[in-house]
Amino acid sequence: MARHIVNIVVIWVILTVLGALVLTLNFFPATGAEFAKDFNGIFRLLAFMGLPVVTFVFAWVGYSFFAFRARSGEDEGPAFWGRNWVPIVWLAVTAALAITVMIYPGLTGLAKLQADPRGYGWGETGADLVVKVTGFRWSWSFEYPQQGITVNAVQGRELVLPVDATVRFEVNSTDVVHSFWIPAFRMKIDAIPGRTTYMVVRPVVTGSFDDDQAFRVQCAELCGLDHAKMWLPVRVVEREEFEAWVQQMKAQ
Amino acid sequence: MYALISIASGVASGLIGFYLGIGLTALVRVAFGHSPWDAQISITVGYIFGLVGWLMGIGMWGAWGREWFGLPTYARKAPGWQRYFVFNTDHKVIGIQYLVTFVVVFLLAGLLAMLMRAELAQAGNQFLTNDQYNAIMGLHGILMVAVAVAAVIGGIGNYAVPLMIGAQDMAFPRLNALTYWLNPPVALLLLLTPALGGLETGWTAYPPLSVLTENAQLLFNLAIITFGLTSILGGLNFIATIIYLRAPGMTWGRLPIFVWSMFVAAWLALLFTQGFAAALLMVLLDRALGMSFFNAQNGGDPLLYQHVFWFYSHPAVYIMVVPGFGLALELITHFSRKPLFAYKYAVGGLLGILGLSGLVWAHHMFTSGMPNYLHGPFLVLTEAISIPTGLIFLSALGTIFMGKLWLKTPMLFALAVIFNFALGGITGIFLADVPTDIHFQDTYFVVAHFHYTIVGGEIFALFGAIYYYFPKMTGRMYNETLGRLHFWWMFLGFNATFFLMHWPGILGMNRRIADYPSSLEGINLIISLAAFALGASFLVFVFNMIYSWVRGPVAEANPWRARTLEWQTSSPPPVENFPAPPVVRGHPYEYGVPGSVHAIVPTPLPGGAPAGGAK
Repeated sequence: MARHIVNIVVIWVILTVLGALVLTLNFFPATGAEFAKDFNGIFRLLAFMGLPVVTFVFAWVGYSFFAFRARSGEDEGPAFWGRNWVPIVWLAVTAALAITVMIYPGLTGLAKLQADPRGYGWGETGADLVVKVTGFRWSWSFEYPQQGITVNAVQGRELVLPVDATVRFEVNSTDVVHSFWIPAFRMKIDAIPGRTTYMVVRPVVTGSFDDDQAFRVQCAELCGLDHAKMWLPVRVVEREEFEAWVQQMKAQ
Repeated sequence: MYALISIASGVASGLIGFYLGIGLTALVRVAFGHSPWDAQISITVGYIFGLVGWLMGIGMWGAWGREWFGLPTYARKAPGWQRYFVFNTDHKVIGIQYLVTFVVVFLLAGLLAMLMRAELAQAGNQFLTNDQYNAIMGLHGILMVAVAVAAVIGGIGNYAVPLMIGAQDMAFPRLNALTYWLNPPVALLLLLTPALGGLETGWTAYPPLSVLTENAQLLFNLAIITFGLTSILGGLNFIATIIYLRAPGMTWGRLPIFVWSMFVAAWLALLFTQGFAAALLMVLLDRALGMSFFNAQNGGDPLLYQHVFWFYSHPAVYIMVVPGFGLALELITHFSRKPLFAYKYAVGGLLGILGLSGLVWAHHMFTSGMPNYLHGPFLVLTEAISIPTGLIFLSALGTIFMGKLWLKTPMLFALAVIFNFALGGITGIFLADVPTDIHFQDTYFVVAHFHYTIVGGEIFALFGAIYYYFPKMTGRMYNETLGRLHFWWMFLGFNATFFLMHWPGILGMNRRIADYPSSLEGINLIISLAAFALGASFLVFVFNMIYSWVRGPVAEANPWRARTLEWQTSSPPPVENFPAPPVVRGHPYEYGVPGSVHAIVPTPLPGGAPAGGAK
């Protein structure tokens, strides 16, 4: 029995190392905000925590498949019933793992994400800039009340944000449920008719849809016919460029 | 001829009922000064009358309805294969009816998936418009949900549970037949949706869109309320059967693990299905009568629907996967030739899932704008469900360890369940954890995750069980080589398709779209090719099933040397299953224990002839 356990552990370690190598690859899209880095970190942490669990099952099943195969159903195996300490240890270990994940990165990550009781913000609560987002079938409009401008289907058709400024999105819908998602920021919040939802974001790098297609506002809740086309490019620019864009929009 | 008469009278009286309902609605509407036709109300009333007419015509009137008026009942006689087309109360007939019906629906919905993957092979719209894609995607979703809910419970459960506990039939045989015959109208309504504008909302049917959209949604709502009824009645029947009809000596501690899993799934179906039906009934009332449950301008709330809907639809995934776990453990213990490891903990795991499953629904709503204080508890409860699920893994891994693994096709599928669900379970953590879920919500990461759990966990178990029970059901043996070919082809195709699918999700590809950003093109092409390979694997399955059903070698009563009761009677079993109730003496899984006996079974009566007659 000990021989089999040792073999399984060896295969488990090998699979885990191989898996860990794959997990060190960069498989993320553009990371456009400080908290998108938090997302990447939590994702990797969970992946590294989950990896040995998956490889344990793979190693155990894979090894058993080759080592314990029998030619026919004539033989019967040793009658282990599992009425000893094994299930208790198993229960303790799996419960400990689950509780660990709940607390870190679960509840700790959640506390940082929801520093503002109304919406998401990854610790950001105040706002340098407010953008009122309205979803409608099948596009978005963005109102900048402080600047007195509105971007809609006619004007611009893009979301422009200054870099290194905290932006609070106040999200609404005029018809059905939509979801306001910017993959580069790893954040989304649903647009619900009859209520306002909030999401606070602080972009830390400049970028645009042409650099990486994760810089886009994408509707992420099925909203009918042209749901697939309900996206607009996002452009994160330097402060001066943003001011120039505001002036240009005002002139229109 | 008997089959034709049965179906024709069902359809005829269904149509009469339908037009009667429409006519009565028109009369009442005209009497109160409205136009005679209102699509929502007329179709709804017509459908209710039509459904009753269909049930009565298919044979419920003769077998059941006459009794309500003090008349003698009768059952339609139908020899041979024709018994599958009448109102038959034999649980074995009903099990096969369910199984064949839902395998056909599975293949049909799989073809829709092939269309979707063909469209998604490249960015831009190739040959489907956006609304055609939405209609196909929605239909694929709801048909597959129906398969996942009904194929194992209705098919394998109906066939095997009474046999495994040594009963002659289910507790309520006529209710069981009613439960099956409610399904054809559901299938008909869903297949008619493309004719009325196509589903626009996917299978989740979120309002306000589902209130505003085409009348295809009306058919969907009527179908799902009916389907919910079958689920509830089926659950009730299984609970009564398992509590009251166990053979003497079949204590709870000796119950086969699949029966335990069916008991848990039946409770889930009975307790939670009302939520789904209620949610869709409210959408129906919003549409037909303008009740404004979900219309924010009139004081309604779209989030109300999401809470009620997921209050069913998360437990529903356990209705799907718990019997899959049960089947996998059942097959693993028989084909490992060892006792089921940690049996009591595995049962505890199933009961733990039952207890927790109703407390996790709002993890589907982390981005919905519900109050922030709800996120923490749902995160914790969702991740807690991994603890009872872990006990299923303990049992499976402990059982195969040092076993004498007899790697027949059913065993390969059962091992694949454990393999696939390990990955599907772990990716669930990313969706339970709020900071990662707010990116992954509604992306292909979710699509990959739930296909890993439901297809990888349940549908693999279903196919394992189909091969396992094929000799019992048909009296003939399937072709082992083709069975293994199907397994490896499906296993590799499935893992290639859905493992790769996580990546576009991370990169920012949302689900339910016919078109996507051009940078995601390469990976989607590879996924589509893998999906076509997966789809093609079922050709091997279909050929094997049809050929073996007609031409396969005659099977023994117990080709797997299994100890559970269904294998102690002939293949196929006689109508009454056992000549007298078996007497259970010990645990069903005492492999390798000298002198152990599960049950004393009276010498079997000669069973039914194998399909196509004995040779």
